[in-house]
Parts: sequence; structure tokens; C-alpha cells
Amino acid sequence: MYAVLCFGDSNTHGQMPGGSPLDRYPYDLRWPGVLQRELGARWRVIEEGLSGRTTVRDDPIEGAAKNGRTYLRPCIMSHAPLDLIIIMLGTNDLKARFSQPASEVAMGIGCLVHDIRELAPGPGGQAPEIMVVAPPPMLDDIKEWEQIFKNAQPKSRELALQFEIIADSLEIHFFDAGLVAQCDPSDGFHINAEAHEKLGVALAREVEAIGWK
Amino acid sequence: MPDMRFAPPNPLRIADRATGLNAVSVRSYNERLVLSLLLQKEATTRLEIGERTGLSAQTVSVLVRSLEQEGLVAKGPAQRGRIGPPTVPILLNPEGAFSVGISVGKRHTDLVLIDFVGEVRFHTTLAHPRMDPDSNHSEFLETIRGAIAMLPEKARERLAGVGLALAHSETNGRDEEAYFRALQDEIEAQLGISLFIQNDITAAASGESMFGVAKPLTDYMFFYLGAKLHGRLVLNHQIYKGNSPLSFDVGIDALETELASHGKPLGPLWDRSGDWSAYQDLIEGWENRVVEQLRQSLAGLSQFVEFGTVVLSSYAPQSVCQAICGKLERSTPGVVAITGNLKPSPKAVGAASLPLSSRFMVE
Repeated sequence: MYAVLCFGDSNTHGQMPGGSPLDRYPYDLRWPGVLQRELGARWRVIEEGLSGRTTVRDDPIEGAAKNGRTYLRPCIMSHAPLDLIIIMLGTNDLKARFSQPASEVAMGIGCLVHDIRELAPGPGGQAPEIMVVAPPPMLDDIKEWEQIFKNAQPKSRELALQFEIIADSLEIHFFDAGLVAQCDPSDGFHINAEAHEKLGVALAREVEAIGWK
Repeated sequence: MPDMRFAPPNPLRIADRATGLNAVSVRSYNERLVLSLLLQKEATTRLEIGERTGLSAQTVSVLVRSLEQEGLVAKGPAQRGRIGPPTVPILLNPEGAFSVGISVGKRHTDLVLIDFVGEVRFHTTLAHPRMDPDSNHSEFLETIRGAIAMLPEKARERLAGVGLALAHSETNGRDEEAYFRALQDEIEAQLGISLFIQNDITAAASGESMFGVAKPLTDYMFFYLGAKLHGRLVLNHQIYKGNSPLSFDVGIDALETELASHGKPLGPLWDRSGDWSAYQDLIEGWENRVVEQLRQSLAGLSQFVEFGTVVLSSYAPQSVCQAICGKLERSTPGVVAITGNLKPSPKAVGAASLPLSSRFMVE
């Protein structure tokens, strides 16, 4: 039995486009649920998606609880041993309050990778396999979120390249979610059930391609 | 002291978004290792690549991704077995790289264009370049320039290089290796392309080993039946680079003399897809002499090396080579004789394999 932790934000939580964090797709429609279905009984998929989660930043408005770095440590310890950790974060780091370029968001992803390797929650105290997933780019029209995410759209289109550079340099698995899924027009940065399905299936193929005995 | 974990990212090799092949200098040893396994069909999945190289799954993932972006490899459709997880094969992209091979033979110059998996995309026979000792090798310059001009655009953009196979006799008594190196430097400087020169018999052996019947073989005796009969010893996939000039006059030259004395037409003899059926009654005796020479060579060699496989490569008709192999097996118990399958010119395909092995494989 293998265990995979899906560490992400509202798009891992399954928040419906245009809704609130309580408007959540049911388990079998969210991408971790799709991943579970595709990988089958040999795998246990663990969901850890929080609306508003950043890579490494305490959110001065939404609160320190949204900092992915501080939560990741106890989270990993709670779920260890883990064979694979999938990280899909980055969109919330583009909020105007953080004023960060895409490359700094990628540096944040790098921090999480270093922390995982330090904790070494894989089988036998090894580092687990790590896969970074670049979130699908935001649409130009993000409705009432325009001010909160001021100027975030072009940066969100750079995330895939910056994440891949980090992934190449730290030698970890990488997937660009934008290849299979787009954000839903009702708010421009959340993914709908159809996109969850496509993403879950694509990630299952990526996980299988790693090769497991 | 700064924490180097948070220094600017320094990728193994940033996936180059430009199309076309990356420069030779940036192709890492590990990438070559992966491509070697794929070229030798010794691995088809990332798991197998990791097992055979000892590289971690994540490193293999980075390498395969960058080779994929460069268009050298592609993912195949997932294979679902009855048990276990589905496997995702990693395949070479045939259009990922092309290579030109030119073999300057006694009567013809063969030119082939092969793709990344050794498939011949184009073949033509050119006139033998006119050798002029004072002309600074312009005979090869023109042949190569003409060959590149003939290529389709997409092959020119992804051309790994040109391989030139020369007979030992072309060296005119000079040291072969030094002569080839000087010629290579000169042509590369003039044309600005990567050129690889090799002895033609060794090239044919390389071709059979990389793309032909000898692919799965580790130790064998390689024979090339051309105008004369030549041999090369291959141990542990390595072609012994003695480039022995020794050859036996039982080849197609000898057959020609015999056929001429009986007034037979000689055209098909040197044709790359010639029909030899008109020679039926005369060919038997010649075949027997070839077999006798092969048998003697093997007997001599068996004092030093024990091996059971012979590869016979030739542009002569497949049926003729098979007859020779059959007779050799009957006269030398314990030996398995295999007919080479590089068409239409083993030497030219072998020459074309050189740029691919030099640029994409580990030594």
C-alpha cells in the first residue's frame, strides 16, 4: 500500500467556482478523489487542501494559519510514512498584499521541498517522492477578486515555467495542470468538476509513470 | 555563511524551450545514459531506466522531461497488465534526430538518411568521388554538401551530423586514424557540420550492432562480404578497433572474375538490390569458397576466444547471405550464423549511426 499526500489550496479542497469554502464538491468529484479512483486500492490518497493557503507566507489578513510552510511539518508528521507528496500551491501567493513575482512563489515551493527532505517522512526514513504541480493560470476576468489579486494574472501564467525551473534544479517531479485543466469563468481562478476530473486522471498517469514496484 | 538551499535555482539543465537540438556541450552524461538505454532497447519505462542507471526516480523524471521537451523521446500509451499498475513506456521519437551516412565504396558511393530509430528515410547511389591527391579533399566536400542539400527541411534542422565511411585503401598508405582525424577537422571547418569518419568495415559492424541483427548480441565475429571479405571481432559490444586491413579475396570481386569468364552480365552484381538469379549455377562454388574462408578464420580465432555467433553483413541478396550462413553452420558445429539486416547498404547505415552514437550515447 502506498500513501500520497495532496497538499494544496482551495483547488485541492474542492471549492466550487464562485462559491465559498463551504461549497465543496463531493469527494469523488474532487481531484484527490479522482486520483484515488484511478490509482486503485494499492494507494491511499490523503487530502490536505485549505482555501487561501500560501506556500510560505503568513497572511496578514486571513491569518497565519494560511501559511503552508508552518502547517506542512505537523501535517507530514501526522500522515507519515508517505511515499509521495503532491504540492499544488502558488495562486494565493499572487495576492496583491504579498507583492511577489512568480519566481519568488517558486522559491517558496523550493522551501517546502527542502522541509520535506529534512523531515524525510518516506519509507525507511528516506525522502519521499515529491511532485510539484503548477496550478492552471487564472483567467483575465476574476470578477470581484480583481482588487485582491491585482496584477496577478500575468504572473499566474509564469508559474509553470518558474515551478519547472525549481523542479529541475531540486530534481523533483513536475506537472503543469494548465495542460489539462482551465479555471472556470464564474470566478476565473477555481476549477470546476470537469477540470477536477481531468486533473485527477492526468496526475494518476504521472504518478504511475514514476514507476512503483 | 549563506544557506545555499535558497540560492538562485540552478537546474540540471533548464528545459530549453527553443526547438531543434541542443548543443553537444550541454548534453549531460546522465542524458546520454538514458538515451543509450533507449537506443539499445534496454529500457522502456522510467522505472527500468532508474533500475539500470541507479538514478533516482525524480532525477529520471527531470531527464526524461527535458528530453521530451527537446523532442528526442515521447511517452507511449499506458500499458495495462493483468496485475500491477499500468506502465508508461518511454520511446525514442523517430523524428527526434536524423543522420546522414556516406559510404565511399570501390564502385559506388552510397548515401542514406536515417532517423533516430535507424529507419532509412532516403537512399541514393552517387558516382564515386574523383580522388585527386592535390585537391584538399574537395571530392568529399562536394559529396557531403550535395548530400545535405538533398535533405528535407525537417531533417536538416535536426541533423545530428554526417558519418563518412572510408575503405582502408583510401588512406593511401597513411596512418588510418591520423588521416581520418585530419580529414574530419578539415571538412568540419569548411562546412560547419559535425562529421564523423570511420573505417567502412568498422562502420558496418557499428550499424549492425546499433540498428541491425547484432543489437542483442554481446560477443560475436562480424564479417562483411563486399568486394572482398573482411572481419571484425566484437567483444562485450565493443568492436575491436584494430581496423585490420587484412581481407580475403573471396568476395564479390572474385565472383565477378568467375562470372566474367563465363560471359555472364555483371550489372546486377554491384547493384544495391540486384537480382542474382542469372548466376544460379555458378554461385555455388563461390559460396563454398566463402564458407571455407569463414571456417578457417573462425578456427584460427577459436584458439583465443570462445564464441558461438557469427554475423554476416553484405549488400548482396539476402538469399545468398542466408545460403552462406546455412553452409557455415553445417560445416562448423556449434556456430550460429546470422545474416545482417541493414538495407540497402550496411556501410552507409553504419556510417549514419556514428553521429547518433557520438552525440547521444555514452562510450
